[in-house]
Formats: sequence, C-alpha cells, structure tokens
Amino acid sequence: MKIVREALAGTLESSDLMVRIAPRAAGLEIVLQSEVIHQFGAQIEAVARETLEKLGVDAAQVIIEDKGALDCVIRARIQTVVRRAADAWTADWSALA
Amino acid sequence: MKLRRSMLFLPGANAAMLSTAFVFKPDSIMFDLEDAVSLREKDAARILVFHALQMPIYRESGMETVVRINPLSSPFGMEDLEAVVRAGVDVVRLPKTDTPEDVHQLEAEVERIERACGREVGSTKLMAAIESASGVINAVPIAMASKRLIGIALAAFDYVMDMQTQRGDGSELYYARCAVLHAARFAKIDAFDAVFSDVNDDEGFLKEVDLIKRLGFNGKSLINPRQIELLHNAYAPTDEEVDYSRRVVAAAEDGEKQGLGVISLNGKMIDAPIIEHARMVLRRAAASGTRK
Amino acid sequence: MTDEVTPYRVDPTSEPEATAEIKALLAACDLSYEATVEVFVALKRGRRIVACAGLDKNIVKCAAISPELQGESLSLPLMTEIAHLAHERGHTHLFLYTKPDNVDRFRACGFYPVVEVPGVVTFMENTPIGVRGYCASLKILREPGAVIGAIVMNANPFTYGHRHLVEYAVANCDHLHLFVVAEDTSFFSYRDRYAMVKAGVADLPRLTLHPGSEYMVSRATFSSYFFKEKNAAADSFTAIDLLVFRNFIAPALGITRRFVGTEPFCKTTNKYNRDMMLWLRRPDSPFPPIEVVEIPRIAHGEIPISASEVRSLLAAERFGEIGRLVPPFTLAVLRDKHRPGRTPSQIPDPPTWVENALNKKGPETYEDS
Repeated sequence: MKIVREALAGTLESSDLMVRIAPRAAGLEIVLQSEVIHQFGAQIEAVARETLEKLGVDAAQVIIEDKGALDCVIRARIQTVVRRAADAWTADWSALA
Repeated sequence: MKLRRSMLFLPGANAAMLSTAFVFKPDSIMFDLEDAVSLREKDAARILVFHALQMPIYRESGMETVVRINPLSSPFGMEDLEAVVRAGVDVVRLPKTDTPEDVHQLEAEVERIERACGREVGSTKLMAAIESASGVINAVPIAMASKRLIGIALAAFDYVMDMQTQRGDGSELYYARCAVLHAARFAKIDAFDAVFSDVNDDEGFLKEVDLIKRLGFNGKSLINPRQIELLHNAYAPTDEEVDYSRRVVAAAEDGEKQGLGVISLNGKMIDAPIIEHARMVLRRAAASGTRK
Repeated sequence: MTDEVTPYRVDPTSEPEATAEIKALLAACDLSYEATVEVFVALKRGRRIVACAGLDKNIVKCAAISPELQGESLSLPLMTEIAHLAHERGHTHLFLYTKPDNVDRFRACGFYPVVEVPGVVTFMENTPIGVRGYCASLKILREPGAVIGAIVMNANPFTYGHRHLVEYAVANCDHLHLFVVAEDTSFFSYRDRYAMVKAGVADLPRLTLHPGSEYMVSRATFSSYFFKEKNAAADSFTAIDLLVFRNFIAPALGITRRFVGTEPFCKTTNKYNRDMMLWLRRPDSPFPPIEVVEIPRIAHGEIPISASEVRSLLAAERFGEIGRLVPPFTLAVLRDKHRPGRTPSQIPDPPTWVENALNKKGPETYEDS
C-alpha cells in the first residue's frame, strides 16, 4: 500500500500510543519514543515494522509516541494510521490478524 | 447454561480499557463500536476491537465477548461485522432491533462471513437490543427469530425518547421490561436490562437491580466496572438459599440414581423447575459466593 | 464515570459563553487569553470546563488545566484532542511555548523541547525529528571555509539594498548561505520573493540560496506568546528565533558570521538586530558564538533604499522611480503583479501576529532591510 498523505491515529493516554505517518520517497523510517524504551523499544519497533510490512507499506515515515501499549494495540494503531493515509485500503482482515 | 448477570460496556476506541477490563471479571464483556465511538474513531475502534477479541485472556478465562456493532443500515455496520466474526467474537449485539427481519438479515450476513473465513457455521451467537416501541411490540417474534440468539436486551436511552418520555423512577420502563422479559422466557433465551447511568448513585443502582432481579432478568448492562461487584453480590443467593438448593440438587441426584420417577425433599415433591432453579442458585453462588 | 472528561470544541467567534469560561480558566492559571486562537478544545467535567487549549494555525496556545486538577494528567486527553483537531485543520507539525517548569508535562504529550530562553520560556515541537531532521538536510549543503556567512531576508520585494548586503557578505566570507523567509504573510508571496532573490544573486559566486523554513523568522519561532510579563515576552520572541539559529542552523552549516543591514525605520527589525548581538554572541552558551556584522544600508539620493519605500512607490504606480531602487527582475515582477487600484494597504497585511507581538505599526513588520 502506498502512503499518500499524512495521518494520525491513537491517543497519548496510558496503554495507548499516538502514531503519525507521512509519505516518504523510499524506505521505512520509524522514530519511536516510549516510556519503556529501554526494556521494550526494540520489540515495539519490530511489531511496528512487521505490521507495516504485512500491509505492504515499504515507504513511510512513522513517528510513534508510545505510552506502554500492548503489542495488539500497537498493531491496531499502525493499521489504523495506514488505513487513513493510504491511497487505497486493500487489506483483508486476515492480513491484520 | 452460562451465567450472564453483568455485561460490561467498553468504548471500543479506548485502548487502555480494552487492554485491562478483563481484570474486573464481568460475566460478559461488551466492546461498543456504536454510540460510545465518535464518527472520527469508527475505523480505529473497529481495528482495536478486532485485536482485543483475539487476546488469549478471553479464551483462557472463559469470559464471554460481545460486540455491539453499528446498525447494518449505517456505513459502518457491515465492516464491523466482517471484523468481529473473523476475530472470533462470541456474541454480536445488534442495536436498534425493530423487527425479526433485522435479525434475519444479520443472521444471513453472519453465516456468509463464517463460510468465507472458515469459521464453524452457527458458532457466532447473536443478541438483539430492543430500543423502540416497535421493538417492544415485536419482542416475541424478535426473540424467536434465530437459533443463534442467546438473549434480548432492553436499551432504555432510545426507547424512552421513542416513547416521548424520559428516564425516571423506572415506571416509564415497566411495560417494556415485562414485554422483553416475557418474550425471552417464551423463547427460552436470556433477558438483559438496560444500563443504570448514574454511577455515583449506588443506592439507586441497587434498588433497580433488586427490581429487575425480582422481575426475572438474567442480568444487566453496565457502564462502570465498579457496578460489577455490587450487581454480582445482589444476585448472589443467601446462605439459606444455598443450603436449600444443595439439598434439592442432592435429592434430585439421589432420586436419579435410584431411578425414582418422583423426587421429594422433606416429604414435599420437587419437580424440574425447582431443580433447575436450585442449580442456577448454586451457579451464582459458585461464581460470587453468598450475599454479603 | 464521575471523573470522566468530555472534549468539546469551542469557536471563540460564535460561542461567547464558553469563551468567557475559558478566559476565566486562563486567568485562574495566570495565563492571558489570545485573540489569535481560531479554535479551542475544552475538556468538560459535568458542565464545567476544567481544561483548555487553543490553536492559532499550527501553534498551540492558551493550554491550561484547572489548578485543583493539575495532578490528574488531563493534559493527555487535552493534547490528544488538540493533535486530532489540528490534523483535521491541515496542521501536522505543531509548536508551542511554555514555561520551562511545564516542559515535562508537554514532553509527556509528545512535544519535544527545541530551545529555552533560560527561566523564561521553552519552545517545543510535536516531533522528535523536526529541527534535527531539518538540520540533517542542511548538513548535506555544508561548504568548506574558515568564515561561513549567513543572511536571512524577507525581500519584500528584493531591492538594490538587499543586493548590496549580499555582495558585501560574499566579499567578507568564504561561503555565504542565504535564506529567504518562507512565511507567506508578506505583500509578495514567498514564491515571488524567492524568485526575485534567486534572480538578484544569480551572478554571485560562493553562495548557496536556501528556501526558508519553519525554524527561521516564522510564525512559530518569531511569535508572541502568552505570558503576562509583557516585557519578558517581547524580549523572548526574538530570542527563540535567534537561539534556534545559533543552536541548530549555524552548527549544521558551520556558520560563523551573520550579516544584517541597519534598520533606521522599523522598530521590530531594529530590535531584532540588537537582540542578535546578544543571543548569537552570549558567552554562557554551549554553542559557539556567531559574529554579527551590521552594515549601513545604501541610499538612493538621500533616502536609504528600503522595501517599504518600494511598496509605497508601487501603490502610487511610480515605476520609473522603482526602477532605480530594484534590479530589473524585481521590476518585472512588480509590473506583472501590480494591478491598478490594488494597494498594499488593501491586502490583509500586516500579519496580525506581528502586530499583536509588538502592538505597533504594521506593514514594515520584520523587514530585514
């Protein structure tokens, strides 16, 4: 899926995360900020990257402000922001699981 | 038979509540995609609930998951349904059910999705919320509309508006409660009462719980986790009731073993409805102990 | 829940009652109401507004939480709502000013400090890669040399005065970085101003022409803000712009010297030039000092050449005289853009933010020369 506009999803509240996405010429740039970055930073980024790859997003700038969200919430917020920013939402639900 | 005393409403867009609500141990947890979600967050809530439903905790704890979808006539309802059936929801709650056809339409779509995603046909249960005069008048055919229905619920907010009145001491719901309850009992499914929205008024809440329990409702929709324990306690039997029910069940099992046609306790005949009631009392006691 | 808060949007132009309640909340928090706020988010508990924040385009202003509720992290739902509201209005990159004591609270809301005027005000943006990303893009354009110069100009329009300043600067450094103010609030559009500068310096060697950015003489860096101490405020809004230049832009390009023209007419620019001497050179900074070179503007006859003079002549359609003050390309743009009867005073100019910041005359605003 191609990211064609900037979008925003999620909240700043505890157990959630706020994600911004913007178009980028090539490659994924993921910028992560988290209160638990030392313990979970790598894992959060891996979940974000995997979720984006599953959606076929290979070029985007993604800024994540994490507030201690569970992995499934991270997936949900990333999928939502892509849905809002993509040219056409073609993902099947099975690709989101 | 499953206990369904408390059905906790959770706004589908709230990640924190979705991540933690199971700790309150309601009998059923209901993710709301409808009125609790703003138009802006409809897409976000659907995806969030899709993931929340798949959290292992629900399978492990046996806590029933319910999702209130948007009406199928809205731009969101069908996609809500696609998401939650695929995510393995236990029960789909249909809002604003006015006629049995509403249930038929939902059932057909659920079956289509079950087939499309390989889920066992019939495994998605349904629940219809009655929120209008039309729904109340049609309560019996609605309750009989599908084998998938596990219950019907009265939702008061829209109902009182349709009736050109407002929430008060409960007399405004009297007919609707009785109609919904009778339809459910006739169809042999559960009946759920509306939410009590003033979360500060414990006394008023307990008074209402006492009323609906005496009327015969299985339980109630709740909007605050704090109300769960109050409700479970109110539904918990007394020690005397538990003692009596134990003796009834023991006598029944005894009688069955001996192959007796008529079962008696202390010289009195006990028939099937008494035994069934005693079993329900024991289930409630097992779930939340006796009343404090 | 009783402690539940519900966000509302308040349009200050059409909701006087809610706006009055917001004003009262701001006063209780020792903040002043800003008339430039286009829309507020108000959090209500019950029927009472307990927190608010406003948007002036992409700048968050008037953020306040009822004093007795400040322990409750209401800032998170408040700033979540602001972020979504701003996004709907087309602003993804947000800025704010706050007291340094409040930085942690906004940090928890996804804002990152850019610069601080010590003890007075901190300038923040809602991305960790904003100014740093911008500097990374500048670094690619670094040029070798011992003395690296910089000029930031609005060029509204580009005159022989600007040309003189650039020529002087090029002659007095190894390489010159020339920035055109990007904010589109001047009489001439950014596109036209950039084109005029580009044509006006095309023949000069050792010069890099840069588009402006939000980090340089922009609404964000050069804005008034909400503290009641007006004197401190007036001092600080130039300081923010200059500190961003010193702490980020100059190190990225290795800039050691900044050139400006003297400003005999405009109080704002004059003050900006004086503040430059202070903030670019203050020794108590971890960043290297930047030399400030102020050169007298050239005159045509007895009147120093200024962009405002050119605009007055344009209003009077005196193209003959204009031709003696501006290069040919600028003159062509002026002729092309000029419509009889359309005078600068009829354009929604000066930008209100400058006026509010300074409380004084408008059209010349932050003209650099």
